[in-house]
Amino acid sequence: MTGWRLFNLAKLLVLTGMLSLATGCATTQGINNDGDPDPLEPANRVVFNVTETLDKHLIKPIAESYVDLAPLPVRTSVTNFFNNLGYLNVILNDFLQGKFEQGITDMLRFTYNSTFGIAGLFDVSTPIGMPLNNEDFGQTLATWGVDQGSYLYLLGPTSTRDVTDQVPSTLLNPFFYLSGIIFAPISAINAINTRANLLEASNIRDEAALDTYTFTREAYLQQREFLVHDGNPPATGYDDIFNDSDFADDDSEAESESGMLIIE
Amino acid sequence: MTLPFHQFQQCLKTLLGITTVLICTCSWAETQQEQAIQAPVNKLHTSLINIMQTADKESFQARYDVMEKTVLENFDSPLIAKVILGRYWKTLDEKSKLDFINLFNRLTISTYVDRFDSYKEQSFKNLSTEQMKKNRYLVKTEFVRTDDEPVSFNYIVQKENDKWKIISVIADGINDLSLKRADYSAIIKNQGFTALLTDLEEKIRLLQPEL
Repeated sequence: MTGWRLFNLAKLLVLTGMLSLATGCATTQGINNDGDPDPLEPANRVVFNVTETLDKHLIKPIAESYVDLAPLPVRTSVTNFFNNLGYLNVILNDFLQGKFEQGITDMLRFTYNSTFGIAGLFDVSTPIGMPLNNEDFGQTLATWGVDQGSYLYLLGPTSTRDVTDQVPSTLLNPFFYLSGIIFAPISAINAINTRANLLEASNIRDEAALDTYTFTREAYLQQREFLVHDGNPPATGYDDIFNDSDFADDDSEAESESGMLIIE
Repeated sequence: MTLPFHQFQQCLKTLLGITTVLICTCSWAETQQEQAIQAPVNKLHTSLINIMQTADKESFQARYDVMEKTVLENFDSPLIAKVILGRYWKTLDEKSKLDFINLFNRLTISTYVDRFDSYKEQSFKNLSTEQMKKNRYLVKTEFVRTDDEPVSFNYIVQKENDKWKIISVIADGINDLSLKRADYSAIIKNQGFTALLTDLEEKIRLLQPEL
């Protein structure tokens, strides 16, 4: 490993550690007060506004041009390639979550796509029953009982728990060990391709959201919960929003004996 | 005293018959109940497929009319509005409440008409129905696409005046009710309720170019 790479690794570890510690304190404070998932909202909003401005004027236009210029099969292959590169992290987290069968299938998927799929450019595994899985260290921590922690907005939405995935996902990505001359342009292509894949979702968000920051945060936190439960969260979790003391305090809108909310 | 064998057989047959009838009746009742719970979801899906299939032929307004009927009949808009506005609901007068419900319905309908605007053999598939607390049910379905992975569409359904109605849509894990509650609360907190109504009007205007 080169000195340059070691330096980058050290920076990554220090940054992640500092973030976790700093926001971990804030999280405890938030939970103790009123369960606020976003105790760092003022700082997050500043970063969000800067990132959104940068995205609006630079990254999104580049991503749109990329979509216009690169045909869908090319973009699909680029996505497949980067998904495959990051798949060692998925495999690790399969095993850390105790999903041994899925872990073995994902190892086979990685091997098939890396060889028969020509370095992952083609997804030859999904058609034969080995679909793409979405696992990361944040989900692993969740299965181990670690709370979401404080919401964070860095280059995108994350949390004090989920940001820790940066360490294994970076260390397990083969490109991390290449020199900066190759690493930098490939990272740029990955960033543009990722943004291009999010164009539809971000357009829907912009169309629907009144307060874009709050909308992004809520959508992220809910989506993470969905992923932690592998797309099948417990139905009772959706009841929380109805157990609001705002209703119970209101005589005219109290609950009936059967528990149904009575509307005037 | 012991029963003769043929009488014992007769009793057993009668008992079996009653048990079978009871099981069938319970099973039938459960099926009827499940169908009633799923009914508003099925009606919504039928209308969505309808407006997708007619997207090239019919105007936005014509498709809006189809969805308006479906949304008004199958969504419990007053309850949805109340949950979304949370503590602010109690501070509003009757007119403001009705204004919000009306705007919210128009936004919901316009959003459906805007998003479901092309048909490529997509379909909806019912997966299961799970009971939640307090007589609420979660109806799990998925939107099946021919060119991509299916999208999870779940619905929370509750009985209102003897009719099951949708009170929340959960698309790909994102609960619309929670999302809007947080989003709208942020606007009310920072800019006030009037600003919320203005913002909703603007969103509707952007979605309805022909109206």
